[in-house]
Amino acid sequence: MEKERRISEYHMVDVSPWPVMSVIALMGVLIGMIEWMHGMGGRILVMGVISMLMSMYGWWRDVIREGVLEGSHTGKVQEGLRKGVLWFIFTESMLFVSIFWAYYHSSLSPSVELGGVWPPRGIRVVEAWELPMLNTLLLLMSGVTVTWSHESMRSGEKEEMEKGLGITIILGIVFLMIQGYEYYESEFRITDGVYGSSFYMGTGFHGMHVLVGVIMLSMGLIRSIRGELTSEHHVGLEAGIWYWHFVDVVWLFLFVSIYWWGGV
Amino acid sequence: MIRNDAPVRWGLGFQDPATPVMEGIVNLHHEIMYVMIGVLCMVIYILMRIIYNYDYRRNREVRKEKRGALIEAIWTLTPTVILIIIAVPSYALLYAMEEEVSPGVTVKIIGHQWYWSYEYSDYGEEGISYDSYMIGEEELEEGDLRMLEVDNRMVLPIKTHIRLLLTSTDVIHSWAVPSLGVKCDTVPGRLSQVGVYIKREGVYYGQCSELCGMNHAYMPIVVEGVKVEGYKEWIKSKI
Amino acid sequence: MAEEGENENMEIKLETAPHDPRFQTTNQAKHCWSRYIEYHACVKQKGEEDSECQKFKRWYKSLCPNEWLENWDEQRANGTFPGPV
Repeated sequence: MEKERRISEYHMVDVSPWPVMSVIALMGVLIGMIEWMHGMGGRILVMGVISMLMSMYGWWRDVIREGVLEGSHTGKVQEGLRKGVLWFIFTESMLFVSIFWAYYHSSLSPSVELGGVWPPRGIRVVEAWELPMLNTLLLLMSGVTVTWSHESMRSGEKEEMEKGLGITIILGIVFLMIQGYEYYESEFRITDGVYGSSFYMGTGFHGMHVLVGVIMLSMGLIRSIRGELTSEHHVGLEAGIWYWHFVDVVWLFLFVSIYWWGGV
Repeated sequence: MIRNDAPVRWGLGFQDPATPVMEGIVNLHHEIMYVMIGVLCMVIYILMRIIYNYDYRRNREVRKEKRGALIEAIWTLTPTVILIIIAVPSYALLYAMEEEVSPGVTVKIIGHQWYWSYEYSDYGEEGISYDSYMIGEEELEEGDLRMLEVDNRMVLPIKTHIRLLLTSTDVIHSWAVPSLGVKCDTVPGRLSQVGVYIKREGVYYGQCSELCGMNHAYMPIVVEGVKVEGYKEWIKSKI
Repeated sequence: MAEEGENENMEIKLETAPHDPRFQTTNQAKHCWSRYIEYHACVKQKGEEDSECQKFKRWYKSLCPNEWLENWDEQRANGTFPGPV
């Protein structure tokens, strides 16, 4: 039976297995997480994560095909996608608001168990003006290079754009490596009271977001090399760039609050 | 006259107040109830009229109005004004409850799974501290209240400003005595403060009011309000 | 338990740590903690018998739960007390 295709500015999506697959995978991750945290092994968690990654891969592969091969992403659709990305970034910032809230709740008026001081008695903090400062410079620099590639993309200079993007990705990876080294060297753990909890919650969530940003930008680079991006149509790359700026700003707040103000 | 300071069967109203705070709560309830009944009657009247008048058999005319600034202003501003009217006595009571007077007596209340303990540390070298457990069903005597009597009551002087300090050693409990107008969570690591001024003698009953585990229902509270002389005698006997 | 009659002549006064507006009304944990620290700082300066110090001792005893005090005393003995004394 021939499917009737109506011409429309909007994208009439096809039947897709991914929403259902993702939901099942996420439920697996959730239940597996509980199982794992109660020390009952991580089999469900591993299965959940694998199926989640597979669903993510499949879903976004389909989205790219719809955009590049089927031409479903008209101007109107692109506008919707951009709005969606911005709202997504808004929800992400609210996540960090809650993390900062917890941090400031504990640090502005430290409880008596901490000795009434912040950082708490007995905590040897990470020195702000060493590796964290280097990380700040790396991220600020990556903010410049990502703008370099953004502007080159808009003006259609493919080579410049790929150069800037590549440097950004490398800077992001170096940032993650330094952050990992800092965790490895630090003298407190996530179990060392509210300082450890809020420190690793804040910087750890940020690190995860850097990782996501690196993946998004890498996809942008791969797709550019494969010739899927034009100066007019590059929503995926632009989403990654916006996300990267967001992650950058969050780091500045983290650096000022946790490392600098909270480390003296 | 017999005061009602314990739960009664099918009791839907308040127990009799023994502190100014509880009197304030009862009065606030009455004030809000007065407004609420007016609102309820108005809403039901309007709803009934709409259901009756806009029935398709009775009213075949299709209304085309899409907006009406006046009606929208009315149904936005009227509830606002009503809420403000309710908020005034509510805030007044809220601030009155936390009004801090330098107290004459401090008692520490510590919640445990599943009993209360009380500490009076202003008297003698060691102070007084004891645990308060529920009396089981087998040991009840004629006239005792089931699930409400304890072995060691808390004793407080009447007509005195009392400072209650509440904390817990394990999970969150809640120390609640309706006649005194107190319901305060006891949180580990926190030292909550409540001021109480008891106006008359009596035995006041309450229960743990924050689900705290298996025996949450079996840690009742009994407060005995006695005259200051009686309180002093009791302290002497306990030191 | 005291012997019968031992406390007969004892004068019970209704006195306790006064209200201190520097501390949150609904949470007195820092009030108790400050009095405990003030007492130990006072003892260091003026000695245990000083009436000023005795006042702080009465106040922290009336404010702090006994379990907290035992805990802090133990921590001070072990040198793990987090406060500035």
